Amino acid sequence: MTETWNITLRVYRQKDGEAPHFDNFGMEVNPDEYVLDAVERVWAFHDRSICFRHACHHSTCGACGMRVNGAEKLTCITLIRDVTHNGATLKVEPLRNFPVVSDLAVDMGHFYRKMERVGARSVLPVPEAEIENPSREWKPEDAQYLRLSDCIECGLCISACPVMATTAEYLGPAPLAAAQDNGIRRKPALLSIVDCEDGVWRCHSVFECTTVCPSFVDPARRIMDLRKQVVGARFRKLFGKA
Amino acid sequence: MSQTTLSSPVSEPRPGENTWIWLIKIVTGPLLIIVLGLHLAVNHYLGTMASGLMTYQDIIQYYQNPIIPTIEIIFLVTVVTHCLIGLRGIILDTNPSRNVLSIVTWLLVILGVSFVGYGIWLAVAIASQG
Amino acid sequence: MDITRNQPSAGRFWSWFIPIRRDIGSWAFALNRVTALGLTFYLFLHLVILGKLAQGPGAYDEFLVLTENPLIKLGEWAVAAAAVLHGLNGIRIILTSFGVGVTRQKQLFYGFMAIAIVVILFFTARMY
Repeated sequence: MTETWNITLRVYRQKDGEAPHFDNFGMEVNPDEYVLDAVERVWAFHDRSICFRHACHHSTCGACGMRVNGAEKLTCITLIRDVTHNGATLKVEPLRNFPVVSDLAVDMGHFYRKMERVGARSVLPVPEAEIENPSREWKPEDAQYLRLSDCIECGLCISACPVMATTAEYLGPAPLAAAQDNGIRRKPALLSIVDCEDGVWRCHSVFECTTVCPSFVDPARRIMDLRKQVVGARFRKLFGKA
Repeated sequence: MSQTTLSSPVSEPRPGENTWIWLIKIVTGPLLIIVLGLHLAVNHYLGTMASGLMTYQDIIQYYQNPIIPTIEIIFLVTVVTHCLIGLRGIILDTNPSRNVLSIVTWLLVILGVSFVGYGIWLAVAIASQG
Repeated sequence: MDITRNQPSAGRFWSWFIPIRRDIGSWAFALNRVTALGLTFYLFLHLVILGKLAQGPGAYDEFLVLTENPLIKLGEWAVAAAAVLHGLNGIRIILTSFGVGVTRQKQLFYGFMAIAIVVILFFTARMY
């Protein structure tokens, strides 16, 4: 017998020319459904004007990032039972630090341009992909095999970062992680992009980005590694070994 | 503070903070822990007052050893540097305009130099009262 | 279309200090920032007060009487606690910035805060 919960879905609404507000929708849900399923059902049967982004429904496209009860989540893989309980309210809001286009949909353009700026790789050779516990040692010819980058550009890290709250110019966790993935040695042009107030030095080791990342990118670890790369590159330049 | 619009380009990286400024901040940090620890221990445990604090006479006598004002001045330079670079970092987090950042930087430099100058004068004044 | 809502702005600095529903790293950040500002204020106050030493024994020793005031003592306790917390959290930041303990940064924070509590208890006992 399928378990049924009665919850209130509290959805952030913001349309052009209107003040932001929340709409409440009482609904029956299966707690083993995902938050995105609940939002879609509200759209389908209660209010067709709700605007939200979604695509793959299996955490590879990064489109459905939202704040669920205040915390950044990829709603297609967030079980309802993990974020609320029977009889409670489930609050859904757009990601922080992005302009809201409509309701739960935000404008990711500035973020995508930052990813382009650092030359973020969508695919990378398998030996460079930092796969945990590979089944064998990589050989040079394995470089012909490509793997999708872990980062799905969902923007949860940008939303969670407290520095992003006060400055849009900071590159942010995902772009810096992408810069680390490229590497200063491989792409020396990145040095001036990341060794500046908008780059690695704006990070204050909060580690929220790693906490919320749904795709095992571990941006904070990558930023720390990028710092090492930057300091190393600067010292090499200082001693003329660039 | 710049407003992001739907079509704004990604800004060019700005030179408000770099490796060297950050390295100075993190080198002065641990140095401070050591010197501050010594400073607190001496000023709160070696004094003649019941609480361990030093009276005026204690301090004058203490400053007769030239190493003491030297260490205190090094401590002052370290703490003022760390503090003002840190403050500037907090201000940088708010995305100030180039002009505002320039004014803030100069103000902090003037403040820092003033306090270090004042501290050096004070250390010499105290030592010479012995 | 009003696209300026929900965007980063300097006015949101208050969110640094209210890490509700955030992970421990946000609390560490808030603590580091609050202690930094508190210690900065204290630094300048301290330097100004020390100027009394140049005015002779009367002025300084008069100030020393004030240090027995319970509120002043509490303030001094707060400064010492802030210095310990800020210093140890700073060490965590330096370590993680050079790749040490990055995957264990929460445990590192908890460990350093435990050390901080021990040190704070020690000088609290000494002060009171």
